[in-house]
Amino acid sequence: MKYWGLIAANLRRNKLRTLLTGGAITLAVVLVCVLLTMPAGLDALLNAVANNTRISVHNKAGIVYSMPYSFVRKVRQVDGVAGALAMTWFGGAFEEAGRVTFPSFAIDAEHIAAVYPDYPIAAEQLADFQRYRDGAIVGRQVMKKYGWKIGQRVTLRSTVWPLSLDFRIVGEIAAERAPYFWLNREYLDQALKAKRGRGLGIAGIIWVRARDPNRVNAIMRAIDELSRNSDAETACETEKSFFANFFGSLQGFVTIILIVTALVALCIVFIAANTASMAVRERAAEIAVLKAIGFGRQVIFRTLLVEAVALSAAAGVAGVVTAAGLTGALRAFAGWSDALGPLGSFIVTTPVILQGLLLSLSVGVLAGMVPALGAARKPVVAALHDIF
Amino acid sequence: MAAAENPRSDAPLIVTRRVSRRYRRGVDEVHALEDVSLSLLGGHFVAFMGPSGSGKSTLLNLISGIDRPDEGEVCVAGQRLNDLSEDELAQWRARHVGLIFQFFNLIPVLSARDNVALPLLLTRLSKAERLLRAETALRVVGLESRADHWPRALSGGEQQRVAIARAIVTDPDLIVADEPTGDLDARNAEAILALLRQLKSEFGKTVVMVTHDPRALRYVDAAYHLDKGVLLEGEDAERAAAAIHAAAGGTAARGTAAAGSR
Amino acid sequence: MLPLSYSLHNLLARPGRSAMTVTVIALVVVACSLFLGLISSLKRTLMSSGDAINLVVMRKGSDNDGSSQISLEAFHAIRFFDGIARDAHDRPLASPELVVQPFFRTRGGGRENVLVRGVEPVALAVHPCVHIVEGRMFTPSTHEVVVGHGVVGRYAGADLGNQIEFGRGKWTVVGVFTAGGSSFESEAWVDVRELANDAKRLYPYSGIRLRAATPADLAPLQRRIDNDPRYALDAQLETDYYAKQSESANTLYILVVGIAVLAGIGAGFGAANTMYAAVQARTAEIGTLRALGFPRAAILSAFEIEAVALSVIGFLIGGACAFGLSRLIESSLGGIAFGASTFTINVVTLRLGSADLEGALALALIIGICGGLGPAWRAARLRPLEALHKA
Repeated sequence: MKYWGLIAANLRRNKLRTLLTGGAITLAVVLVCVLLTMPAGLDALLNAVANNTRISVHNKAGIVYSMPYSFVRKVRQVDGVAGALAMTWFGGAFEEAGRVTFPSFAIDAEHIAAVYPDYPIAAEQLADFQRYRDGAIVGRQVMKKYGWKIGQRVTLRSTVWPLSLDFRIVGEIAAERAPYFWLNREYLDQALKAKRGRGLGIAGIIWVRARDPNRVNAIMRAIDELSRNSDAETACETEKSFFANFFGSLQGFVTIILIVTALVALCIVFIAANTASMAVRERAAEIAVLKAIGFGRQVIFRTLLVEAVALSAAAGVAGVVTAAGLTGALRAFAGWSDALGPLGSFIVTTPVILQGLLLSLSVGVLAGMVPALGAARKPVVAALHDIF
Repeated sequence: MAAAENPRSDAPLIVTRRVSRRYRRGVDEVHALEDVSLSLLGGHFVAFMGPSGSGKSTLLNLISGIDRPDEGEVCVAGQRLNDLSEDELAQWRARHVGLIFQFFNLIPVLSARDNVALPLLLTRLSKAERLLRAETALRVVGLESRADHWPRALSGGEQQRVAIARAIVTDPDLIVADEPTGDLDARNAEAILALLRQLKSEFGKTVVMVTHDPRALRYVDAAYHLDKGVLLEGEDAERAAAAIHAAAGGTAARGTAAAGSR
Repeated sequence: MLPLSYSLHNLLARPGRSAMTVTVIALVVVACSLFLGLISSLKRTLMSSGDAINLVVMRKGSDNDGSSQISLEAFHAIRFFDGIARDAHDRPLASPELVVQPFFRTRGGGRENVLVRGVEPVALAVHPCVHIVEGRMFTPSTHEVVVGHGVVGRYAGADLGNQIEFGRGKWTVVGVFTAGGSSFESEAWVDVRELANDAKRLYPYSGIRLRAATPADLAPLQRRIDNDPRYALDAQLETDYYAKQSESANTLYILVVGIAVLAGIGAGFGAANTMYAAVQARTAEIGTLRALGFPRAAILSAFEIEAVALSVIGFLIGGACAFGLSRLIESSLGGIAFGASTFTINVVTLRLGSADLEGALALALIIGICGGLGPAWRAARLRPLEALHKA
């Protein structure tokens, strides 16, 4: 608009103040965005598994309790099941890390395609996984973290059984949120037989894919019915429910994050409001003259408000851009996922960007509103009285 | 800008009928103006004079539409100002009045040219048009070479001239000046008064000025005297005029005491 | 030097402006205290769980309590080793334990993995920090359970007299224990034999906790267990064991520091803004002071004192609010649960400790001192003539 020259000139009036205020808003927006990526990471994970057809089957008593492996075959025969596989916790510690830093599972290789068709694993890699007993398929996040390549050999020491196994990485799960290490069930089974005389007779969790999403509930009931009154009664739930429950305990932490975010947002409103009121107060004389020569209340209000909003919006954009860069650096540091799980993925999603921008706009409006209104509303005579 | 024209001496441009204005200061009620009626013809350069607290600035505010009377009515260029709301008054001022103050006239972060062009932002003119008019106005006051300067780079007298340029840029019916020479030295004050006179004589503008500068009497067509909110007439007015002459050291005045309606 | 009252009066002269800056600092103090308090509470919980005179014995190669398996023979072999403390009846203070993590249904309808520790009565002697404060210890073989302080009220049926459903059955709560704020308070204790049965474990125990007779006995005991050729066992100090568990909490400290730095700089900018305006408004007054002969250092310190006073007030208000907020969180949310990547839940009560408040005070002071430095410098550098002229 044509008042832009006036608005820009006013922002340039006290460059230090404009920079300090803009800087404070930018920093706050960076902080808010980084903090918001944490619950956003959790939401993204839950959304990713929201609408699919996978079901988890686990012992009713708890995930740490297991089921007999033979149960998997029974599950495969339930009407409507497209595929089912057993996943058992290996608890492998990579020696460099010294302890368990990513989840590792013994898995039924032949059934991966049937149960996880949506996971981006190259077909040849899946074939290799079945061909090579000591093969391993590893999620991209883990590969990047340790700098592993396809074809590399790694050794994992199990923290569940007293053995270490050598693996050859034959494939990658090329997705952002699949930090898994999959090994062949048969490989573990044989190693255990050699060590203690008994193979791996158990299944930790059974994952099932339903052919038709509408039949998911019926399938879950059928599977639970199968196991009723046995030694290992099962409880089925959708994949979404499984992850929601698994990470449900993070809710308290997320609440604290949101509280802190709100406090920071309130902070910048105060800083911006202070600046806006100082600016308007100092310009009382000019504003009085402008009103005298005919600038109406609306125009005065609008130009003052736009001044505040322009500054905060620009600072907001700078903040969002910086946050995107900063989270990139945060992602590179691997320790987060250990401590925070999905909260530590630090990916700046579109909703986070929008929230950051919205915050900065609101700050400008809230902060500028009161001084702008006050200046606009004051009758010309009173304003002139104050200065002359 | 209107070329040199004869003053339209038939139609009174400004008429006030029995206006009063009071306001509260703490617990007291101050009678700024009491029952003032006057009628000013267009194309004249007049002064409102009087001691501080006499109500001259209040009267100026009323006829320029900055303030409203508590009683009585104000008509300027045929428009009854009492009928207009605050926002409408602002619009009216933008179109019909040019204002000059004693200080704080200019916006420090805008160049002289942009300051002069300020009132034109309220019109529908294009940017090029606005700048052209601003430069024209600056030429009238003799400051076209300083168009790009910041106010702080201009002397007090030059700042007032820029303020005058801004006051005429919209080609208003009425130009109003509140103590325009109050902050200036003798040489600059004379220059400003001469310029204001020029606006009347060359361009036919109506100029109303509040001042207690005795030098003003040499430039104005008429001077109205106020004291304690009342417009002085007859002998009282003459006495006030004489007092000013004496204070000024007896310099011959062009305008003599005016009284009431003409 | 200018008197203190000069600085303080100036703060009061512009109450609105001072209040804004104080509010900004207070908000930052609250935000950082909360986060800092949360992480320290977590650390404190984990660290306090270790008794310096205890040893944790697990199968070699196990990371934690839950994944280890120890046979009956192994237990009987080591419990009579030299160096293990004895009770009044000359029984060794060796506590065989089984750790399992079944689902517990929360009051809110969710579910969490809770650490259930199967123990024998000797456990209370080996873990003297554990005190039964309500009810009594469970009687073996009666499907009874005693729960830690953090468990009460969080899960369905988790109070005295009620029954909790977990594993394959229902267990009656007969007692509540505290454990000095340690992670034991997030656990439920039952009879080890019953638990092994319920979980269908082949091996009855997952770990053994030993209490050494004297600190000097720790090292030889540890060596003997580590080197025993019959059973592949590993012994470590209980304090070391829990220290390892709290490693992930350390990464979170970095997050806190990051938040504090960013928020602090932002608040510092805000404070600087206000003070710059103050300097501008008081230019004439400063000029007078300088003309009268006050040195630059006096002006500088006067302004810095104002800034510091604002931060201290901000800290006091922020600290008080943070306390109130942490109490509010405790009453509405209960404890904050931690434990995404590890399997077990540690229920942490958000408590602001003195270290947390010291950190917050330091932050507030840095904001004030650094934020006020620029303006104070500018004020000090005003030349008397200039300043009076501008006015």
